[in-house]
Amino acid sequence: MMEKKIMDETFTVPIGPQHPALKEPSHFRITVDGEIVTNAVVRLGYAHRGIEKAVEGRNWIQNLYMLERICGICSHIHATAYCLGVEQLAGVEVPPRAQAIRVLTAELERIHSHFLWVGVAAHEAGFDTLFMYIWRDRETVMDLLETLSGNRVNYSVNILGGVKFDINEEQADAIRKGLDYLEERTNHYLDVVSNDAMFLQRTSGIGVMTRNQAEVLGTVGPTARASNVARDVRVEAPYGAYFDYPANIVLEERGDLTARFVVRIKELFESYRLIRLILDTLPSGDLETRMPRRIKEGETVCRVEAPRGELFYFIKSNGTDMPERIKIRTPTICNMTSVVKLVIGHQLADVPMILVGIDPCFSCNDRMVILDRSDGYKQQWTWEALRQHGIDYYHEQHS
Amino acid sequence: MNTQEALKIASLLVEEWVWTTETERPEPNRLDVKLTKLDDFIPIVVGLRVQRLGYLSAITGLDLGPEVGELEVLYHFCTAAAVVTLRLRVPRDNPSVPSLCSIIPSAEPFERELREMFGVDVDKHPNPIHIYLPDDWPVDTYPLRKDFEQGTVSTAVRRGVKHDGKENNG
Repeated sequence: MMEKKIMDETFTVPIGPQHPALKEPSHFRITVDGEIVTNAVVRLGYAHRGIEKAVEGRNWIQNLYMLERICGICSHIHATAYCLGVEQLAGVEVPPRAQAIRVLTAELERIHSHFLWVGVAAHEAGFDTLFMYIWRDRETVMDLLETLSGNRVNYSVNILGGVKFDINEEQADAIRKGLDYLEERTNHYLDVVSNDAMFLQRTSGIGVMTRNQAEVLGTVGPTARASNVARDVRVEAPYGAYFDYPANIVLEERGDLTARFVVRIKELFESYRLIRLILDTLPSGDLETRMPRRIKEGETVCRVEAPRGELFYFIKSNGTDMPERIKIRTPTICNMTSVVKLVIGHQLADVPMILVGIDPCFSCNDRMVILDRSDGYKQQWTWEALRQHGIDYYHEQHS
Repeated sequence: MNTQEALKIASLLVEEWVWTTETERPEPNRLDVKLTKLDDFIPIVVGLRVQRLGYLSAITGLDLGPEVGELEVLYHFCTAAAVVTLRLRVPRDNPSVPSLCSIIPSAEPFERELREMFGVDVDKHPNPIHIYLPDDWPVDTYPLRKDFEQGTVSTAVRRGVKHDGKENNG
């Protein structure tokens, strides 16, 4: 008997903006037929801060601090991309020691970011034990970053023309020791995500993206590499110290969620290797070079490999001390297309896992915070008011 | 494909096949292609895709200011370290570019951003809704244009409340 299918029996499930998968806002409209997803539309911008506009009204130095605050997880890579671009425009050569310290911090950042992601993804899969263990171990790398820079997030390593701090032998030893511990733990986690039967049920064969799909959908970073697409800016288009310390690409063929776990965990070993190599052969010399306040007219494109994939900066200068335009394209927006296409045909319950699989970072993506209280409290802080508040606060604390 | 090969193929494509372009090499790894005719745009993108130079890395909007009266849209295609940029100029009062979504699906969010931030109409876009800006964002207000003043659109304005806190009934 032929059964006539009634086409309009679909149902739209709005997910978010609160907690679609992570503790960050985004909104999805998922159309389902029973349990099966038939369409998905994404809506972002809940954390949009208008940074691309804001940078046009601030000078090159202020912008460094502004752009570093785009993302709390990969703050360093934003600052690095910006510095590399501005230095290119100014025609300034950064000393090799500074370049090496930038890369070392970038790799430490990648370690903490990947650990963070494995934890969040494990939590989404319902594997909270793994989440807690890996976040405990992540504290090791957070402590190392704090030892180096004094900060757990927004390390503020970069300045235009170099870096702020040096690494001494004591710190180097602390990093080596920390890496030994992390490497041992990483081996264990690689074993867990590739062999734990319960975990594999949530990841194996889920959200499969073929190599061709990954290419056509324009994915970047570990999401692309888990589908065997060799896209890694560190390897394809080396920048800074990656010329002297070449990175090896990590690829997986399966293209499912398991592969996305395995790629990120294997990349940790590559980061450990690079950091040890840099510590052993850190070039001597200056940490910074002089930068002009005004940048001559020009345009440049700067691409770097953030923990989530290619980060793209387009910088246009106009000869003044402020930029004409800075365009920022973060990796999450590239990978988001793959999510809305991949979820089609999957069970609704797999949607959070597929979303988390690309390691989305919405603050990166969105970039405007407006305080809006009904009691008439000042709605917006101007830059000057915020600055004055900082000065007053400092005086209060130190009087 | 390495960087030099990619740049060679791209310049052959745009210089020998489409004659109405001007090319520039602003940096060793970059090829800027200025398109003088909008009709050439889709064929060039198809050409780049066929040559597998098709990774659309980003779409940048530039406002050249009310004096010039034009907007510029930049499409960056990356292969290894090579960045091939197609540059389109559109009039500021009625800007429109064709959508790339049928050729490059990942262009969808980039084009939505271009549309809301610069007011460039993207012809035949499959999903022309806001991506970052709120649904109640005022029409014909494009924040990344040079004549947009910061702070003129607050949450209160959007809800119909004036800056002095009184209800905006008119």
